[in-house]
Amino acid sequence: MKKLTAVLIILLVAMSFASAKLVIWSSENQIPALEKLAADFESDYGIQVEIQQVNFGDIKSKFLTAAPAGEGPDIIVGAHDWVGELAINGLIEPIPFLPDREQYYEVALDAFNYGGKLYGVPYTIEAIAIIYNKDLVFDVPKTLTELEQLALEASDDEVVGFIYTAGDFYHSAPFILGRGGYIFKETSAGQDVKDIGLSNQGAVAGGNLIKSWFDKGLIPGGPNYNLMDSLFKDGLAAFIVNGIWATPSYRDAGIDYAIIPFSEIAFDDGTTPRPFVGVQGFMINAKSSNKLEATEFVVNYIGSYEGQYGMFLGERRGTARADVFAFIEAGAGPELYDVLQFSKSASVGTPMPNVPEMASVWGAMGDALGLIINGQDTVENALSAAVEKIKTTIGN
Amino acid sequence: MSGRRFAAFLVFLAILAIFNGFALWSIYLLYADGNFGLMVTMVILTLLIDLIALNPKGYPYRYMIPAMVLLFILTLYPMYYTFRTAFTNYGTGHLFTRQQSIQKLLSDYFYIPEKPQEYEFSIYIQLKDYNPTDNFITLLQSKESGELFAAPRPQAINRDATGNITLATAKMLEIKGDTFSIGGVNYSLSRSPTGSVLAIRSDTGERFVYFYSPQDQSTRPNASFYFSEIRGVWLRNAEFTDSEGNQVRLFPNSLYTTFATTERKYALRAETVFSAGRAIQETVVYNRQTGRKLVEEGGFFYDVDENGNDITVEGYISDVGFWNFVRMFRDPKISKPFFQVFGWTFTWAGLSVFFSFTIGLALAMTLNDRRLKGKKIYRTLMIIPWAVPAFISALVWRNGFFNETYGVLNRFIVQGLFGLEPIKWLNDAFWAKVSVLIVNTWLGFPYMMTVSLGALQSIPEEFYEASSIDGATRLQRFKKITFPLLMVTVAPLLVGSFAFNFNNFTGIYLVTQGGPAIVGASTPAGATDILISYTFKLAFEGRGQDFGFASAISIIIFIIVAGFSWINFKLSGSFEEVSR
Repeated sequence: MKKLTAVLIILLVAMSFASAKLVIWSSENQIPALEKLAADFESDYGIQVEIQQVNFGDIKSKFLTAAPAGEGPDIIVGAHDWVGELAINGLIEPIPFLPDREQYYEVALDAFNYGGKLYGVPYTIEAIAIIYNKDLVFDVPKTLTELEQLALEASDDEVVGFIYTAGDFYHSAPFILGRGGYIFKETSAGQDVKDIGLSNQGAVAGGNLIKSWFDKGLIPGGPNYNLMDSLFKDGLAAFIVNGIWATPSYRDAGIDYAIIPFSEIAFDDGTTPRPFVGVQGFMINAKSSNKLEATEFVVNYIGSYEGQYGMFLGERRGTARADVFAFIEAGAGPELYDVLQFSKSASVGTPMPNVPEMASVWGAMGDALGLIINGQDTVENALSAAVEKIKTTIGN
Repeated sequence: MSGRRFAAFLVFLAILAIFNGFALWSIYLLYADGNFGLMVTMVILTLLIDLIALNPKGYPYRYMIPAMVLLFILTLYPMYYTFRTAFTNYGTGHLFTRQQSIQKLLSDYFYIPEKPQEYEFSIYIQLKDYNPTDNFITLLQSKESGELFAAPRPQAINRDATGNITLATAKMLEIKGDTFSIGGVNYSLSRSPTGSVLAIRSDTGERFVYFYSPQDQSTRPNASFYFSEIRGVWLRNAEFTDSEGNQVRLFPNSLYTTFATTERKYALRAETVFSAGRAIQETVVYNRQTGRKLVEEGGFFYDVDENGNDITVEGYISDVGFWNFVRMFRDPKISKPFFQVFGWTFTWAGLSVFFSFTIGLALAMTLNDRRLKGKKIYRTLMIIPWAVPAFISALVWRNGFFNETYGVLNRFIVQGLFGLEPIKWLNDAFWAKVSVLIVNTWLGFPYMMTVSLGALQSIPEEFYEASSIDGATRLQRFKKITFPLLMVTVAPLLVGSFAFNFNNFTGIYLVTQGGPAIVGASTPAGATDILISYTFKLAFEGRGQDFGFASAISIIIFIIVAGFSWINFKLSGSFEEVSR
């Protein structure tokens, strides 16, 4: 038995030496850029980098299963709103030092900040904006009231003036947060989940605005994402609210669209709507045995100017570094119109809270918005019920 | 024994040997993993299988074994695991054992002490046949004072299971007059005319040459050897001790391009704790910087910062006893909507079975009628809802039929045909319940129709002939012959169907996600939430994942369903009496 154990240990040791390499889980679009960086890293470090393609939507759940068992990759690509859950679980490692820190957009670093520590190197920023069909709308609205009028003018028996996924908090957030609603109070020690501002005056004002669109018949009853998407593709919707992920399919459908970033449209009092900003970045497995190399790869290679520009070329989305953005903007042709417009929209946005308590907000606010747009409850009641729900769900 | 049989026996033995090889391997892995419960079970199972395979008396059991093994892997072990998890706080923030958490506290947390020293360093390496070896000396130069120190290759103190060094230590030696000594051997520095150190020589004749320094771009060609063989093996977890006893490590804040004094933040110490009037020695984790001991509460280690605030440091899995069960009754978010959700779960399961069975039976009787032509076509068509994946049908119903403005039902039937106000199918509590029932009936009736068809065909024709001679009406025949005889076969399936719908998560989640919200409710329970979907919301859409709580609720649901099925089987047993 002793001999057997010895043999097995030797085998395991041999296997572990053979596997002294960095493993990255990445979604499809980042792979070309990563491969280039990996080649540089390999020649500099003599350590192999293996890039494994995992569907973006599966990365978090797979990582949550693999990482606690000491398996799993050294580096993952992910969304910033995973950070709280992964950090509380002790599965991701803080980034000790970020060179060129001042080049990163504040919103991108804030998004990956949890409990005062940076948990990832961001590479892309995205936020939703208003999209309209230029064949149906002939004027660019400067305020939401103007948008309502233009939408009314555009609508007829077939065409819908304005439609978006109003029952979903992500899409309705710009109007609620823009008027002064907030989710969790920002404090110096992070977000105070006990102070919820989703039923304050500003949030109610936003809720009333959304309700008025339904009361006026501007938005048809029961809107959902698929409906909005297909109406717009068929040229049957004038204004919608959506993100950069959707525009390629609109172009393919032959729709002549334009994008109004939330920074360029205002409420009647002059304030602008504030969309949620989603940031994606690279995070390091806290249980990795190659933490040093993983950190160096993420910070010095992916975080570098060239690395970030490569990421941008792989997927044309707003970048997290100001110098990369400036370079792109300087040479931008019409093909980068979408990126620039959505980036402007993100500039007035606020990062989605990355605390795990956020999970309860989506459901509760979805419920409240459902009650509001169906006229089953007053805006005030629905929103304060939502806050109650969030509090009971977070508990303790 | 004939040659042929002997060969067969050898093949059999070989297969058994391979199986045992795999079994031993997995037992070893489980042992290395510390999963002793499963290891013992595996040992018992392996012995049992070997016994049965080799013992001629065990012959009939050979055919049972695969089923038993699968039963164990797919049913019994998950049940045991669920049961065990129900008594823990396993979930977000509590994924590791207490032991693992303490290990992490001791090894992964550092602080920078007052007056830290930062050192630039360079590596001097011994060559053998002009190739670098992994025998090296680290020369450290204080950034502040410029003083030079030397450190020999650190000695491995701890290794992990795979042989990687997790701790290696060495002393930093002061260099005076360009010489220093390690263990009685004297070393001297050879400098170039410009004063930089080119090599280190020992008086025993060893020679270490300048190899790599992160600050020196000209040594970059050597970086890859340094990273993989020197740092990757020896320096990654090296801990140098300076003359004052401070710990010096690769400095994360410079991205490992310098060394600096860093201290481990947490350590263990024995402490006398008074409990029930007796003094007990206890090992506690304390913060070396502040001297305070960590507070342990609710499966978390808390540290106290300078303002007196608790900071969560690490969480671990702890036994919580019956807390997860107690919570169900104490916690308002569960007790408040419980009866509403529970009531609807029964209604939903009962009505789903009722509607799909009534419709299925009616169709089966129609298809069973001899006068009907083109039975095969109808039968095939009727099976379609069953054959299409449920999630596709559910989405078609949700978006295509029930949409308020564009759905087929409202657009063409409610408004178009009857000219009524559009119905808020999915956004009104009552109509949402109707909607999920419609979808579930649609998905469920083909199954009921199929089993009823089979059952109908097994009823002997003579019964009907005899009854028609007696002058029974169609209704009488149905009541006295068809239905009772049908029930003998179908009743257990109805019970099964009820139990299935009781936990039919997809049926609810794909259509309404438990919504719409209930006006004024302070809990996330929606109008169509059944127990299982509400549990899902509580356990996974609140604050991360709460596996312990989810397990506790699934045990309760299991008890409810099992109890109800038992009663039902009793009741359906009474139908069997009729047939006798």
